This record gives sequence, C-alpha cells and structure tokens, in this order.
Amino acid sequence: MIKKIVIKICLLILITIVLNIIYNLTFYKKDLAEKCEQILEINNNQATTDIFYFAESSNFNTREDDSIKNSISEITNFFYPKLKITAINKPASHAGIFKKWLTQINLKEHKPKAIIVTLNLRSFDAAWIHSKLETPLQESMVLAQPYPNLINRFLLSLQAFDNKTEKQREKEMLNEWENTQLIFPFPFKYKTVKEWDNSMANGSYIKADGSWDNDKIELACHYVKSYAFNIKESNPRIKDYDEILNWCNINEVPLYLNLLAENIEYADSLVGKELVFLIKENRDFLVKRYSKNNCIVVDNLELVSGKEFTDQTWTTEHYGYKGRMVIAKNLAIAIKNKFNNDYKNLY
Amino acid sequence: MLFNSIHFLFFLPIVVGLYYLLPQKLRWILIFVSSCYFYMAFIPKYIFILFFIIIIDYLSAIAIEKNEGKLKLTYLIASLSANILLLCFFKYFNFLNDNLAPLFSLFGKDFHPINLQIILPIGLSFHTFQSMSYTIEVYRGKQKAEKHIGYFANYVLFFPQMVAGPIERYDRLGEELKKEQNFIYQNISDGLKLVLFGLFVKMTIADNIAPFVNQIYNDPLKHSSEEVLLGVFMFSFQIYADFFGYSTIALGSAKILGITIMDNFKTPYFSKSVTEFWSRWHISLSSWFKDYLYIPLGGNRVAIPRWSLNILIVFMLSGLWHGANWTFVVWGALHGLVLLIERYFSKIFMFEIKKEWSLLNVFLILKTFIVTSFIWIFFRAENFNKAKEIISVIFINNNIKFNVISLKVPLIAILGLIIFDFFQYNSRFDKKLNTFKAPYRWAIYSFLLFCLFALSGTEKFSFIYFQF
Repeated sequence: MIKKIVIKICLLILITIVLNIIYNLTFYKKDLAEKCEQILEINNNQATTDIFYFAESSNFNTREDDSIKNSISEITNFFYPKLKITAINKPASHAGIFKKWLTQINLKEHKPKAIIVTLNLRSFDAAWIHSKLETPLQESMVLAQPYPNLINRFLLSLQAFDNKTEKQREKEMLNEWENTQLIFPFPFKYKTVKEWDNSMANGSYIKADGSWDNDKIELACHYVKSYAFNIKESNPRIKDYDEILNWCNINEVPLYLNLLAENIEYADSLVGKELVFLIKENRDFLVKRYSKNNCIVVDNLELVSGKEFTDQTWTTEHYGYKGRMVIAKNLAIAIKNKFNNDYKNLY
Repeated sequence: MLFNSIHFLFFLPIVVGLYYLLPQKLRWILIFVSSCYFYMAFIPKYIFILFFIIIIDYLSAIAIEKNEGKLKLTYLIASLSANILLLCFFKYFNFLNDNLAPLFSLFGKDFHPINLQIILPIGLSFHTFQSMSYTIEVYRGKQKAEKHIGYFANYVLFFPQMVAGPIERYDRLGEELKKEQNFIYQNISDGLKLVLFGLFVKMTIADNIAPFVNQIYNDPLKHSSEEVLLGVFMFSFQIYADFFGYSTIALGSAKILGITIMDNFKTPYFSKSVTEFWSRWHISLSSWFKDYLYIPLGGNRVAIPRWSLNILIVFMLSGLWHGANWTFVVWGALHGLVLLIERYFSKIFMFEIKKEWSLLNVFLILKTFIVTSFIWIFFRAENFNKAKEIISVIFINNNIKFNVISLKVPLIAILGLIIFDFFQYNSRFDKKLNTFKAPYRWAIYSFLLFCLFALSGTEKFSFIYFQF
C-alpha cells in the first residue's frame, strides 16, 4: 500500500508541475494584469531599463493647474536622456511592497544600473501601517510570492495573505495611538498621540467670532496623527528597507532612497515646533541608518514650500510642478555619483 | 474555520495523521479538541454555547431514559425549550421585537424594541436541530442515552458537519464516531476525491457566479430585465454550488477519517417536480422536519384541509429556520403552496415517464428549475422591497441596456456544474469516478485541480449556509 501511495503522490506532483506550466502559458499574464500590473510592468520593461524608480502616488500625482504634468521620475530622466528610468508606481504602496517588486527583477536577464525607492516618512506611521488600503495591497502581492505561479494563484483564491478587516486594522491603529509613548529629549505635556490629538481637538483654534475653527482643528489633528511618532528599529518599515538594502548589496545594485518632502511649514504653524522636532529627528534616524556604501539617502524633506503641496487640507506627498521639479533635480544631482557622464544640466 | 482556507488545508492532514496514529480509545479526545479548535476559529467564546447544548441534552437524555410518564416528558420539554430558547435568543430576538412593535401600535400602545447587537453563532440552527433529534429519539425509546459525554459531545461538535450539516441522527453519526476505524486506502482515496470535488464546486463554480449575482441583487433597478432574469437563475446555481460544495467537502473530510455521513444532495435541479426537489435538496433538513414536525402533526393521515395546513406549517417553519426574516417564511410558504398544487393536480403534474431523459421529462425539469429559481428570489433578497424590485424589473421592461460585468466566466462555471451533475446523476462523484479506468480518473483529477488552482474566484465568499 505504501508503494501505491508514494507512486500516486509522485504522479500528483508531476501533474502539478505540468499544470503550472500550462497556467504560465495561459492565464498567468491575465491574472497579473488584473491583480498586479506592476509585476507585468517590471517583466515587460526590465530588458531596457537602466534605473527602476519604485514609488507610491507621490511620483505621478499632479496639481490641476500644473502646466507640465511630468512625474518626478520622468523629470529626473530628463537629466539623463541616455538612460531609461522606469517608474513602477502604486498608490499607498510602501517598502513592504517595494521589496516584493524587487524580487521580480530577473537579474540574469538584465541587471539594472540602480534602484531608486521613495522613502516616505508617513509610511512609518500607525495610520499608514494599519491603513484599510493594506488589505488590497497585500492581495495584489500574492502573485509575487516566491512559490510556483499556480500555487500563488490558489493562495489568492484562498485569500492567504494579511487579510485583516478594516475594523481589525483600525483597532490596531487606535491601540498604537493610545499606548505608544512619544519620546522627546525635553519635557512635553502629551505622552501619546491620543493625548496630543485630544488636546488639539478641544478648541485649539478659535475663529474671530469665538466659535471653533473646525477645519483648522481637523487639519492640526491630522498632522499630529500623521507625524507624531518615533521611528524605532521595531517599525515594520525598517525591516522592509533593511531587506531592500540587503537585496541591493547582495546583487551589487546601487540604491537611492528618495526621502520625500513633507509640509514642515504647516506642521510648524498648525501644531508647533515639537511636531517639527519629531519629523526632523525621524529624518535624521533614517539618513544615518541608510547612508551606507551602496546606498544614498536623498534628503528632500524641507525642499518644498507649504504652498507647493497639492493637498492643502490633508497630509500627502503630492506636489505641484515646482515641488516635483525640486525633488527631481535634487535626485538627479544625487545620482550623479554613478552616472556623471550621462548627466545633462537642464535648468 | 472555513473549508476554503489555507488554515483548513493544514488542519485536516494534521488531524487525519494524528487520528490514525492514536489508539481508538483516545481518538474521541482528538476529535473533540480538533472540533473545538475548528469552531473557535470563528468566534472563540461561542464554544460555550455548544458546551451548554451538549451538557443540557446529555443530562436530559439520561434523565428521560431513567424516568417514565410525565417526568419523562418534562425532561424532554426542558431540553427542547433550552435549545429553542437559545436559538430564539441569538437568532430570533431582534426579529420578534421588530414584529412586536407594529403589533403593539395596533392596540395604540408604544413598544420600543431593544435590538441586541450580537453576531449569530455560526451554524447554531444546525447543531441545535441535530442535538434535539437525539433527545427526541431517546424519548421515543428508539435511541439509548449516551453515557459517555465525550462521544455525545463529538456528535454535536464533529467538525466536518458541525456548522452547516448535514443534520445527522445519533444512531448513525454517534455509532460511526464510536466505531474503530482502520486506515483503509479506499476511504482516504474517496475522501480526497470528494474534498477536491467539493472545493472545485465551491471555489471555481459558486465563487465565480457570486460577483454577478451580488451585482444584480445589490441594485436590480440599474439592470435590464434580461440581466436580472439571468441573475435570478444564476443565484439558483450559486446557492446549489455553494451548499453542495460545502456538503461534499464535509462528506469527504469525514470519509478520510473513516466516518460516513449522509448525502445531503442528489442533483436537485434534475427534479421533475417541487416534491421531488425536496427529496433531493438539503435532504437532512427535509427528513428532520418530516420526522419531528410533519408526522407528529398527523402527516398525510388526516383530512385534506388539515394535511394542507400541515404542509404549509412545515414549509413556513423550514423557511424561518433559515433566517429571521419574513422573506424566508414566504420562501417556505411558496414552496409549500407549489407542493400542494402539485399534489392536488397530481394527475397533471406527477406522472411517471420511464424513459429518463425523454423530452417531456426535460420539460418538467426545466419547469421545476424555473419555479424554484423564482422562489429563490425571496431567499436571496434582503427584504420584500428588494424582491419586489427584482420581480418588477423582470416583468416590466425598464429600457436599460445590458451593462453588467462579463458573463463568460459565470456561464462557463454553470455549464461545468450541469455537466458534473449529469456525471453524478443518481450516484455520487466518488462512486461514479471509481467506475472509470485510472487514466480517465487522473484526467478528471487534473482538470479539477487546474480549475481549482487557476480559475477559482479571487473574492472570498463565505458559505451561504453558515449564516443559518
């Protein structure tokens, strides 16, 4: 009987291998296009790409009144006309997603000359980590797992990924805001995001007629929730960026972390210097941690003025043309260390 | 735990492995622990509801067996009341309250119902009915009271069928659970075939039809008459594939452990009448209502008006069993009415044609399918307004163009279901498959595996019957 069982198991494995081949030839690309077009873009472009630019919506978002609509990666590419910079974007994505995109690059086929990955400060905060958008993002990455494609497809049907409900994620986020202690090197009256947020919510802005300025209060609260945190080694994004750096080191691909600009002006005017302190301290932590031999952190944090942000009533890293231009130029200059011969001074 | 989850695909082999490694006297502990674990994957604290049912019915059965006369009946009533009250509290409390308010207002009194914000324990209707059948059988003297609480607990908890049936009787499942089961290759092989087929039916067929049906039922007024009609027919296939898929996986999982549970479906959409439909659809529930309600009410050995009333009562309660909503009651009542019409006009509707697939039989099958599909509207619609919208769109052309998502996938899925139903007509998938030579069998396995792995729906839909 054991012989019979072993033979059947072997046959089953063989069938699965054949079915995997059939799947790759038939439905795989259609599924990729439907669930994770970024992988398809990587596959389709990698043979001709010199530099991959991995980003969230900061790269392509434009302002209505922009006369020039080019993305940051496209503008950067203008400085290097001989190179091809391919942008792989997905809104709300983060290092945990970028690291999976990296593994889709087939190095045997063509090794990129560099990788640029956005380093978004807000992606380290509890709101982004526990965002409701995380579930569809995780779903989109099931097909990129290091298993045979047919198995990945089955795992997708089984919803075998970080598939928490919106409610569960919100609970985790609120828990973090309530229980994570904020660390300042100076005395500060609020110990947690919740305390700080509550204080801002209770009439921090009053209009001339004596009523609460609810728009301003809401925005101030949002700034607190977006930026009031200390990045620690235990932050899941740190692990993800470490893995990205590690991949680049092993494969000897230069890495540029494009630290995005935040609206420091509004953070200062709406909430105060304590919030700006946290933002800058987190920036310093990341710059120090990742400025290593094979990696350069391109610091754009304070380069964009408040008015250049597309969203004036929310915290985003969406910039008008001037903002995108400043960041692109800064990035273009930063990558000169490897591509000096290709650089063309445009502006 | 859902059958169509990665969790279950690891859970089952571990339980099976341990089951055959353990000596028989310890196996009940494994079944008990694994069933508790399986159930607790949903809402852990609700396991105490099951423990409550187990303790009440276990003790009641012993008391019923020991006593005679009124005391015996008192214990039975106490046990049944406990089960029904539990069901009423979790499932019907809000429904009763909501209906009391308009009743009070009729008499000019104010009644402000309290709505409980509780999630219905998964499969509660199934395990209360299963457990009640045991105490009733003990009362009738047809079943000895089980002295081993572990075996009785496993009868209520047995993980393959605990959340959506089939609703088993103790003389069958209880005895199966006690029997020493040896590792028999054929059991494992047949069980795996059934699990594979069940997953295919649920994940590849039902889950590919579901998005289309949801789109139609969520907003029927946005769709054309043809689309809504298609949606109504497709729901018939979706609910069948969903529930039949679950039951087949349950059957297969139990079979792997050497335990035989009853078939809950026998290709119901090949029924030539609604009467036949109910002998092929959710068989365990039909037989429960027949044995514990229809026959005690007098069955068909009463005058025609009383018999008609019995039929309507049984079907309406069967509807209410499904859900705390008048739409389910209407669904049941309509089935009862159609069944009565068929019986009254039996000469017209219930004739026998020996040639199985004669043209007339095919016509009767189609007629039954159309009737049951129409009645399903009340089962699927959230409320009467939605049901009304569905029906009005079907019959009144609203001049909306066909604008729904692609029909290709759900139609292919339905075609697949019909073909497999032909294949297993008056038999069962594993039994039918075993009549084929190995190369054909393996070709079918390969086909099912490919469909399951590569073509299953990518949105997860819980089993529809879990909510009951």
